[in-house]
Amino acid sequence: MKKMRLFTRVCLSVCLILFTAINTWAAKEIKIGVIGPMNFTQGQGQWNGALMAADEINANGGIQAGNKKMKIKLIKADSNEFISITDAASAMERVIAYDKADFIVGGFRTEAVLAMQDIASDYKKIFLGCGAASKILCDRVEKDYDTYKYWFRVTPQNNIYLVKTNFAFLHMVATTIRKELGIAKPKVAIVGEKQVWVERIIGAAKANLPKMGMEVVGAWRPSQTATDMVAELAAIQKSGAHIIFTLLTASSGITFAKQAGELKIPAVMVGINIEASKETFWETTKGNGNYVMTISSHARNVEYNELTKPYLNRYIKRFGEIPTYTAGTYNAVKILKQSIENAGTLDSDKVIPEIERYDEIGPGGRISFNKSHDVKWGPGFITSLGVQWQDGKLLGVWPNQWRASKEAPPLTYKGIAPFKLPPWMIEKYKK
Amino acid sequence: MIAYYTKTLYSIIKNDVLVLPSRMLVFFFIVAIICLPVVSNDPYLLRIIILACIYAIFTASWDLLSGFTGQMSFGHAFFFGVSAYAAALLNRHLHFPPWASIPIGALASVVAGLIIGIPCLRLRGTYLALTTLSFPIILLGIVHAFPDITGGELGISGLDRICRSRIGTYYIVAVSMLLSIATMWKLTSSKFGILLHAIREDEIALRASGINTTRYKIMAFCLSAFFAGIAGGLYAHFMRITGPSTLEVALSFQVVIWGVFGGIATIWGSAGAVFILFPIMEFFRFWPEFRMLIFSFIIIFILLYMPKGLLPWLRDQVEKECPRCKKKNISFRKTCRICTATLG
Amino acid sequence: MIFNIIISSLINGSTYALLAIGFSLVFGVARIVNIAHTAFFMVASYCIFLCTNILGLNPFAAMMVTIILTVLLGLIIFKIIIDPLREHEAAVLIATVALAMSFQETMLLFFGGVFQSLPYLVTGNMEIAGIRVAYQQLLIIAMAPLVLAAVWIFLKKTRMGLAIRATSQDREVANLMGMNEKGIAMMTMAVSVALAAFTGAVVVPLSVVHPHMWLHPLVMTMAAVVLGGMGSVKGSFIGAYILGFAEALVVFLIPMGAFLKGSVALSIMVFVLLLRPDGLFGVTFEEER
Repeated sequence: MKKMRLFTRVCLSVCLILFTAINTWAAKEIKIGVIGPMNFTQGQGQWNGALMAADEINANGGIQAGNKKMKIKLIKADSNEFISITDAASAMERVIAYDKADFIVGGFRTEAVLAMQDIASDYKKIFLGCGAASKILCDRVEKDYDTYKYWFRVTPQNNIYLVKTNFAFLHMVATTIRKELGIAKPKVAIVGEKQVWVERIIGAAKANLPKMGMEVVGAWRPSQTATDMVAELAAIQKSGAHIIFTLLTASSGITFAKQAGELKIPAVMVGINIEASKETFWETTKGNGNYVMTISSHARNVEYNELTKPYLNRYIKRFGEIPTYTAGTYNAVKILKQSIENAGTLDSDKVIPEIERYDEIGPGGRISFNKSHDVKWGPGFITSLGVQWQDGKLLGVWPNQWRASKEAPPLTYKGIAPFKLPPWMIEKYKK
Repeated sequence: MIAYYTKTLYSIIKNDVLVLPSRMLVFFFIVAIICLPVVSNDPYLLRIIILACIYAIFTASWDLLSGFTGQMSFGHAFFFGVSAYAAALLNRHLHFPPWASIPIGALASVVAGLIIGIPCLRLRGTYLALTTLSFPIILLGIVHAFPDITGGELGISGLDRICRSRIGTYYIVAVSMLLSIATMWKLTSSKFGILLHAIREDEIALRASGINTTRYKIMAFCLSAFFAGIAGGLYAHFMRITGPSTLEVALSFQVVIWGVFGGIATIWGSAGAVFILFPIMEFFRFWPEFRMLIFSFIIIFILLYMPKGLLPWLRDQVEKECPRCKKKNISFRKTCRICTATLG
Repeated sequence: MIFNIIISSLINGSTYALLAIGFSLVFGVARIVNIAHTAFFMVASYCIFLCTNILGLNPFAAMMVTIILTVLLGLIIFKIIIDPLREHEAAVLIATVALAMSFQETMLLFFGGVFQSLPYLVTGNMEIAGIRVAYQQLLIIAMAPLVLAAVWIFLKKTRMGLAIRATSQDREVANLMGMNEKGIAMMTMAVSVALAAFTGAVVVPLSVVHPHMWLHPLVMTMAAVVLGGMGSVKGSFIGAYILGFAEALVVFLIPMGAFLKGSVALSIMVFVLLLRPDGLFGVTFEEER
């Protein structure tokens, strides 16, 4: 009866021993584990970004660690983190303990990344986060440096910076509405998932938007897993909002935009709608997602610097789409290369100071880390883009003459297109 | 003195344990669990076995409630989650050490068992299943409503470890598992267990014989909640994070699948099922796309060909019951080992 | 405001009602708790997606093809998996959960975890009392009572319906009277799965298609069915609208608590069950006490 148990265990042990043996054979490589929900676009982005970086580095001979030239070997670890946190933690431990990864990049769902962070620090392995936005992850570094110094966040920006970026979007949109439609005090309806990162944004919006000359008519908080938003949409229509400030990361972003577009609601959607930053959005909404604006890391028409264009071309040629923000694993692998070469070793404790000192221009802007191991944000550093769907094309529309503070010079990236209001909105409000 | 005890132990092992394959396997299983760290101290392997131990307690607790009394619980994650959150809150905010927060968490889960159990007394079968299914979802709403306390979708992180070293943790979890399973097994093979069986088979007849079935049903709820709570607390402190995932519908379904796979109303069956299925799932990691698909096919296959569950089926294959004294015998024996009656 | 709440709750409620009718039917007649009911709905959505986006059929033709294919799939599943297990109620529950999971994984394998969507059957919108409503939404509102009426006529006016009702009242006696009880269960399963596929065609254009889309509707469908009383088609219909109304009410009255709409709807279900353990219109079966 319980023979099966023993049998399974024996099988398992044999396999694991074999794995270990194979792994010790091939020690001439630097192993980088890419962990993420590989069945989903987020995980695919992470894998694609890392793959491209690794291939580029290997094509140039690999990484010079001390006196050895080593190639990169990527290990794909499916964390299954949308379904099971237990799986995610086991995958992390497996990639470190069995696959003997030297460094790890990836991670998406914050609850899972928190568990992964603990494991990475247990093994003293550097973990470059490329997906989870919560500030709490970097707060841990500041509070307990010795334990959590192995964590760095490469992408995205944390939720404090997201607030600033979104307020800049809203300011731009409100200015356009005032200028084109003559509405002095545009009304804003907020639709934000019930998530902790949204909490702070909504609090800040309620406090600051009136100061910026806008009126908040209400905030709706559907759950992240909500599949239908019929009632929310009806309530927002009733509120007569001109701007719908969206903070949606899941499939509800598609549903919401699709229904709002079909109904031609006279309002413009601005904010965060992760699904809208993917190029499949146009097809998924059957064109109803027109004029939706969201945050994104890249757009085909925008160049942050001279590295952007070649990077985008290579990525699009290889994977057929623009990189989403989780493809920031590209930068993560590049950061590792630079830091390992500077440190001359794979030893985590020697590489960490090099990453802390890292300051280079990447295809998404200048990358450098602050005290809590978070990527720096602002003009001159990483800013990300505001992108808008305009008749089937995803165009970068922000920053357009953006001033981070009163005395800062206005910032516009090369190739930025003007922001447009939906024609049905102009029709409704233009006298 | 020592020689005497060794001899007694030897004779117990020889006369009672080694005569039946099932007992033999339980014995070897316990030995294997205890000796595993001596053979290998691979942290990944230990992690898998630790998690399997935690889920074995959890599944056995489900079996105690649903298998024995027939009160089909489709929301067992509720008890797991309540205790995990309670332990996490106590540990994080009041700095209770794990040895205090886990039992208190389990008690919180008993209270939750009472809260669910009493209103659910009137419900039966599918109604009960679907009502229990909704409790974790309702609680999930509450968890999200107070992000300042519960951490919302981020959960409560940075909990204390059960023990500094992985091997220490392993032993604590493994021993709790063995003790919990043994307690539940003992409990269900006592008079209490027979009453629970009777509640499932014919509650009205039982009431007609003057037995307060309500009391036993509530007791079953509380005991089940207690052990599920132990599992939840151990999980929280092992993973060092408690989040909404401990309350998800998927976890509730998972435990039902484990329980039915291993054979309901057995305790050992459902616990054994976890030790088979959980490592198998890890084993299939080299084939990630097909992992869940294979898992679900195995379940369907087992249900079709062994509706009583895998382990009871296996047991029936290797053992048969003596027609006279009702003792179990190994299947190739011609005569009963106790009363020497001829076996059919 | 009240009118808006009613419109939203009608849209929500009709969606749940369409699913709940099929779920309830197969339970009432064949005593099968088919957890995979919404998984059939998911498979049907992918089938429509395949027909319209890849084969380029028009939405109505795609709907027809899908209904036929899904019914076939349902019958095969019934024959291979559900029928041999019908004696063990728990086993059916678990088998259908496993079935739903295997559907989900198969879809994940073929289509990936990407969000897809279906074309509207009818496009355009109209304004009712200051709120714009898409024609597709009106279609859903109209379809739910129509489907209920069709099921009602089928049950009350046809010979097959008579047989189904007889079986649902007493399976054993119906069997003794020479009715092919198994055939009737199969027939009911076919109708139920066809309804799931039809619902997919009508409802899913408003939302997205992905492999995990069965879980949320499943919980709400089961809540509606239990609230109305298992086995009562009328009950599940009313239960669905009660839940839809509760959800709309939550969104309109406490916008900051819109995420609680599922929790509130389920709490209402639990509350009703505490007062009436067999749901609003539940039928108790003597032999199953």
